[in-house]
Amino acid sequence: MLRTREKLFCYGVAALFIAFLLAPILWMLSSSFKGPLGIFAKPPVLVGDVTLENYRQVLSDKTFLRSFLNSILVSAGTVLASMLLALPAAYGLSRLRSVAKAGLLSWVLLVRAAPGMIFVIPYFVAFNQIGLMDTRTGLIVINTVFTAPLAIWILIAFFDAIPLEIEEAAVVDGATRWQTFLRVSLPMAAPGIVSAAILVFIFSWNEFLFALTLTQVEAKTAAVAILNYMAYQGTEWGKIAAAGIIILLPVAVFAVAIRKYFIQTAAGGVKG
Amino acid sequence: MSVSSNKGLWSFILPTFLTLGAITVTPILATFGISLLYINLTMPGPPMFVGLENYAELMADSRFWNSAVVTAELIFIPVAAQIAIGLLLAMVLKEKLAGTRWMRMAFLLPAVIPPAVSGLIWKLFIVPGAGGLAWLGGVFGADMSLDLLSMPSSALAVVIVASVWTGTPFVALLFLSSLESVGDDQYEAARIDGASWFQSHWHISLPELRPAIITVTVFRILEALAIFPIIFVLTGGGPAGSTEPVNYLAYVNGFEYLRVDYAATIIVSFFIVMMALCAPFLVGIARREAKEAR
Repeated sequence: MLRTREKLFCYGVAALFIAFLLAPILWMLSSSFKGPLGIFAKPPVLVGDVTLENYRQVLSDKTFLRSFLNSILVSAGTVLASMLLALPAAYGLSRLRSVAKAGLLSWVLLVRAAPGMIFVIPYFVAFNQIGLMDTRTGLIVINTVFTAPLAIWILIAFFDAIPLEIEEAAVVDGATRWQTFLRVSLPMAAPGIVSAAILVFIFSWNEFLFALTLTQVEAKTAAVAILNYMAYQGTEWGKIAAAGIIILLPVAVFAVAIRKYFIQTAAGGVKG
Repeated sequence: MSVSSNKGLWSFILPTFLTLGAITVTPILATFGISLLYINLTMPGPPMFVGLENYAELMADSRFWNSAVVTAELIFIPVAAQIAIGLLLAMVLKEKLAGTRWMRMAFLLPAVIPPAVSGLIWKLFIVPGAGGLAWLGGVFGADMSLDLLSMPSSALAVVIVASVWTGTPFVALLFLSSLESVGDDQYEAARIDGASWFQSHWHISLPELRPAIITVTVFRILEALAIFPIIFVLTGGGPAGSTEPVNYLAYVNGFEYLRVDYAATIIVSFFIVMMALCAPFLVGIARREAKEAR
């Protein structure tokens, strides 16, 4: 049991940190409902002239809506590509007993640890030449560079958890290895696959550097397009706040949905 | 055939690794190659091989050395703060006080908010005289209307705070999950022996967390420069390069000055240093993983 003073200390630390964590987010939330008067009020006000005008304007802005659609399509495409690459490889690595295994795993981690800029430069040159510049396909390809290794690393743990005896039974019944994988192992790893997919989706949704450098207009994603509101004629904070809330909402919901697995999977190799 | 043999497994592994090799190893090698060339995108003419000339230029570039110092500051200060505060928070959350369930959920937020939006959140919060910080200052009777982003030292401080804000809750949750295996009875026993709350955690939690602390530190170091979008939004690397780490300098060279060869040189140098520092450790983790499973 905690002594009273220690309990107070713990509550104090928790309250302070929660205030630090939430204050800026709540300020953006409240700003998203402010009109121009409230945004620039001096001294500032917590609740200004309450209005839905910012959301109405952002949601009727065709450029922003297109970028939002791009974010959805690129993230979905990245999930698909990453899973197609990662599922068989993770299964194979999980079952593999060979000295090559440590080598392949090291390589997966090293690729994940490489800075994004090192990929941007050659992809920028190559995409300009093969016409993948400013396309959703191009963005999916370079996102996959990062997300496929991440997905492999996460999924291995989930395949490791499937007892070999169950697969053994399928093999005895005459199934090939691929049939066993598709009919037995995949369904059993379903929770892991869903959380890995959601994590890849979040990564792709949040990705900034690649979208900034490899798209201009057509394929620009929401995380970059929101900067359009920081234009030369001055920053439109009301719209930025509303757009920011709109962009962070889907990933926040996803994160809460997989919170049980989130720490385990997002850590991706970071375990004690 | 038995499932415990390696037979047929390469048909699962090879297609993926060949594809990944093509889309990851090729570009890394290409960036190495580009750093050995002279490419001027603003002038016609083919690239020229210049050997290590770009690297010689880099070594004499004071802006690069400044960004190397900023890089060190933006890696080590935030990571140290994330680990220290993360440890404290994990110990606090372990106590299952009222509201800790909600706290755990709130802790997920900074880790999943798009970094560019996090940058905007902080920029809006510190708008001089009109942001949340000025509002808080008003509540507590302090004048907080300074333009923090206009001075080098305070701009760097803002970026560091934003980086701590982004990473700490996640680090705390990681430590907390490592602590879950420690039974309450261990702490109870220490308490009966007269240990304070802090002492009991110092002697029980900390040794338990040791491997996690090392691993988390390495991964946070590797991911520290992922705050690129936050810097892009908040400061653009300024004022006077005070918040310009090497990956930002590479971006500026490649995409504003159109010097892709020099940008490649900068990022390759950084990559080599990071790999020299962290690769042995990453290989160690992979080895352990390969051994542990089955």
